[in-house]
Amino acid sequence: MIDIVINGRKVKAKEGTTILENARELRLDIPTLCYHEDLSPFGACRLCAVEVKVNGTWHVATSCNTVVEKGMEIKTDTDQVRESRKLAAELLYYKYPDTEAVREIAEKLGVDVYDEKGEDHDCILCGLCVRTCREIVGVSALTFLDRGPGRDLDEPKIDFNPTTCIGCGSCAYICPTGFVKMEAEDDKRIIWNKVFKMVPCEECGRYFAPEDQLRYISRTTGVPFEKLTTCVSCR
Amino acid sequence: MDKVAFSSWNGKIIDNRKGKASKALKSAGVNFPELPGKADALMGWNGLVVMNPKADVVSLTLNYLKEARKISCGECSVCMIGIDKIIDMFELMTEGLGDQGALAEIERIANEVSANAKCAFGQSALFPVSDAVKYYKKDFLDVIKGGRKIDAAGYRSAVTAPCIEACPASLDIPGYIELIKNRRFAESLNLIREKCILPGVVGRVCTHPCEQACVRNYIDEPLSIRLLKRAAADFDLQEGGGSLGGPRTAKKENVAVIGSGPAGLAAAYNLRVMGYGVTIFETFPQAGGMAAVGIPGYRLPADILSHEIDLIKRMGVELKLNTKMETLDVDRLKKEGYDAVFLAVGAHKGNPMGARGEDAGCEGFVDGVEFLRDINLGKKIEPKKKVLIIGGGNVALDCARSCVRLGFKDVEIVYRRSRAEMPAREEEIEGAEAEGVKIMYLTAPLEIVASEGRLECLGCVKMKLGKPDESGRKRPVPVKGSEHTIEADMVICAIGQSPELPVVKAKKKLSTTPWGTVEVDAVTYKTSVEGVFAGGDCVTGPATLIEALNAGNEVAKSIDAYLQNAKPEKGISFKGVEVGKHRGDAFVGKKAAGKVDLLDSKKRIKSFSEVEGAFAAADAMKEAQRCLRCYRVVVWQ
Repeated sequence: MIDIVINGRKVKAKEGTTILENARELRLDIPTLCYHEDLSPFGACRLCAVEVKVNGTWHVATSCNTVVEKGMEIKTDTDQVRESRKLAAELLYYKYPDTEAVREIAEKLGVDVYDEKGEDHDCILCGLCVRTCREIVGVSALTFLDRGPGRDLDEPKIDFNPTTCIGCGSCAYICPTGFVKMEAEDDKRIIWNKVFKMVPCEECGRYFAPEDQLRYISRTTGVPFEKLTTCVSCR
Repeated sequence: MDKVAFSSWNGKIIDNRKGKASKALKSAGVNFPELPGKADALMGWNGLVVMNPKADVVSLTLNYLKEARKISCGECSVCMIGIDKIIDMFELMTEGLGDQGALAEIERIANEVSANAKCAFGQSALFPVSDAVKYYKKDFLDVIKGGRKIDAAGYRSAVTAPCIEACPASLDIPGYIELIKNRRFAESLNLIREKCILPGVVGRVCTHPCEQACVRNYIDEPLSIRLLKRAAADFDLQEGGGSLGGPRTAKKENVAVIGSGPAGLAAAYNLRVMGYGVTIFETFPQAGGMAAVGIPGYRLPADILSHEIDLIKRMGVELKLNTKMETLDVDRLKKEGYDAVFLAVGAHKGNPMGARGEDAGCEGFVDGVEFLRDINLGKKIEPKKKVLIIGGGNVALDCARSCVRLGFKDVEIVYRRSRAEMPAREEEIEGAEAEGVKIMYLTAPLEIVASEGRLECLGCVKMKLGKPDESGRKRPVPVKGSEHTIEADMVICAIGQSPELPVVKAKKKLSTTPWGTVEVDAVTYKTSVEGVFAGGDCVTGPATLIEALNAGNEVAKSIDAYLQNAKPEKGISFKGVEVGKHRGDAFVGKKAAGKVDLLDSKKRIKSFSEVEGAFAAADAMKEAQRCLRCYRVVVWQ
């Protein structure tokens, strides 16, 4: 355990934990869009900004991916912090004005949001789906496409690899804006425009999982495919 | 160009617009990028520099923003969208919309993006935009009032980064690291290969000056750039090792490359891509130059090099082994259809150490590079009891660590200065010590003592360090009366190498330097002989692999320009510019560098198996996430 100071309060923190984890333990309200406690921090939305004192001066830092250090001084509620969070929210709202998740958080952070209800479901590049696919599912069917010198890509975006996707739907479940859509149609599931064949439960006959997903589970766990064809409720 | 009307470079404001005499930037202690030719103004990550008082700063700013937008990765919420919003505000200004408030808003966005962007690009890119709005406010207001048009044409731009500047071959390091971060290993390797055709080799043995330049040095520890390059190459090999593709076009001219080392291979590959017919002539039975015969297998396994050479051969590059060119008959090569020659014979001849008896040719006294070559070419070497290796460079360390593996009982390096001056890489010295190599510092050889043609012992003298010499290292001075002998079964001399040049038969003599290296034009790599170019160790003397490889890249461009009667384009130079530093003091959290395992020192002395382990895919991606993406953009008019 190490000593840190949050908003003037001396607290003990576990080594290797982040500012955000410690702040949430203290029930301090820090907004986030790209953070999820089961995934590695990404630091993309910049909404979780706090101030950290380094060598005597205060700096803006994202709390989700800054690991606490011994004696670290942190402030989570200053004018600078509010201004940084507001600008990040303002810019997100500027780019995705009709996406509900963005409108909600922008309004909360003091951005003037128009009254009309948003109808869009933009990808805001929070990376939750990419990290879920890689870290939880373990297949990495979703990756970011790179921009930079000599790489001719006007807008950053997420790339879908249909050959590795198993159709589990985790990306649709985690997506905060509804950009990733999953449609079900009897024995079919459609996700990222790929059609997956669903397997019916041997007991109740309900289509409960894509065949590709069950085959993937069978391959990684060694359990024969035939033993996986019963749904959770009937097992 | 050196007079300025205005400069905010490095955040230092020089404003000579109000009738004051203009002052040269350099004399004001400011180094900014040197542009090819005359320019009115430039805008880069570190500021705005205006040479011509009539320069159009508003248009320059917009063009800079558009270039910066291309480089912004778009991953975090503030940088790319912030740039987008400022560009949109420019559009509104040209339509007459906006006021002083709009300019204040641009400054606010620029300041917040600098404070809160995720990477070093976003944290540094918008300072000059703030400068322009602040110090050229009137010009911006003129645009809003409709008195000034925005011009998009006639601008040039360049992108660099601290690591790119430090790399002799200028690899797009942040670019290939980002592709690894996003699990795009094959694309990463393609990007590496654009400037480094031996990625698996360089990923193992490069001296990585990029890592010394990494901005993370100021925060925690540098990125493991070399290991990331190796990872990209290794993953490709594990998947079967894809091809390099074919030539882009076909050209009728042919080029002869003398020497198949990194310089020769890089030139051959690049020339082949351009469509030329290429033949490489190699003296030894194995291709690769020093990479093949000079680097031991425990640092660079032979199959890694041979795979990368195979790929180049599969592109249609002809490789003639066992072809020693003692005479280089340029006219004959021309008659045989070669329109240009690239001399890249390296530096394979060991330098004499100036000790008595070294020329007598006694058994047990051997040359370091020859020793390494014999091992690499499979010659059986009987291990002896005691071996002394003279020298403190990488060749000496390679010899010592090879001796340990060959079964020599007692391996000792004799070096005339102290450890601090040793030119070998630190990890090499540590590795050798872990394997039981002893190092005798401040000792210089005086005599090779032999009897009946067999080595008996080494005559030595103790040294002490005096004043620094031209190289900046302290000069060793003999201690009077400290002469002594050390008994040994073998002495290996590894104190440096020189090229062994062929006799060139041509109308003009091949110019060489007093050090026995080939004299070339620093830009074109042309020798004194028409149609003959030279590069690599035979020009520089023994240098790093990546420097030789870069010479090959550059020579290919120069030969192409020569054969096509074209003039190579001059680029921007960042020499003397502190690319590693940027304005502002945005926060970056600490993250320890990824490490790889080394083969246990007890196990590794038993064979020539590779010592250093590799990153697994997940480790490589994690390490790549540490990259701060310190791209720097410069736009000029």
